[in-house]
Amino acid sequence: MDGASVDEGLVRAARSGSDAAFARLVERHQAPVRAFLRRMLGRNWDEADDLAQEVFVAAWGSLGRLKDPAGVRSWLLGIAWKKAQDRMRSGLRSQARDRSWLDETAPSGGISQEDRLALAYAMAELPSDQRACVALCLADGWSDAEAAEALGLPLGTVKSHVTRGRARLLAVLTGGSDDA
Amino acid sequence: MTPEDKLTAFFAETTPPARDLAFQAVVAERVARRRAFATVGALIPWTIAAIVLCWAIGPMIEPVVEGLGQTLAPAAVILMLTGLGVVALMASAKRLRPI
Repeated sequence: MDGASVDEGLVRAARSGSDAAFARLVERHQAPVRAFLRRMLGRNWDEADDLAQEVFVAAWGSLGRLKDPAGVRSWLLGIAWKKAQDRMRSGLRSQARDRSWLDETAPSGGISQEDRLALAYAMAELPSDQRACVALCLADGWSDAEAAEALGLPLGTVKSHVTRGRARLLAVLTGGSDDA
Repeated sequence: MTPEDKLTAFFAETTPPARDLAFQAVVAERVARRRAFATVGALIPWTIAAIVLCWAIGPMIEPVVEGLGQTLAPAAVILMLTGLGVVALMASAKRLRPI
């Protein structure tokens, strides 16, 4: 049974009132939703995880309106995308980002602190649409078509955003031009 | 380490664990809270309707209630509590049934 079939069964069970099924959905999809929001909102992971919880609570409330149960992953990311946009518009993001630069407890994952900060700044400076495409396609391995569906953007726009976003991030590391 | 490797490592840092029981527990708690509020909200109109109905028919059934009340009250309370218990158990079993 592939992932989409499993999701479909879980969505149907959750719709009929099974908390266990909804818990399995959360278990299966919490990592990509949280990773996406962390990449969208910067290094304030607590804020991103709190927003991810809101995403799942909202999903629980509107599970009955999900048209394609097998596409629950894209649907969840779509909710996360809308909530991230709301949060960024509210202005909380810049405050959180400012605070996060003071946080020196970033994980040591094989890149220097200098490169990490440079990449984090560069990610934060990307337009939100472009950052969302980079977060899904470059960081999480989504196809352009999947990202286009989840974000509600045209396929060509997603491809363009991924190419430009990648070039800008690499330019930060190489010190070159980001003209893509 | 090439720039591509650095980019991959940077993104990998933001990836949460595949299973996170603490996160799942918090989501379950927030869902339960939302369900409780929704249940209470849904009961409010019915409660108001029941109160209005009791107020409207109260004078008519008062003599009957007074007559039967003393003999049937204990049995009614026991039946009501048993019924509530059965309903609660059935609802819990449905929600917590393994999948």
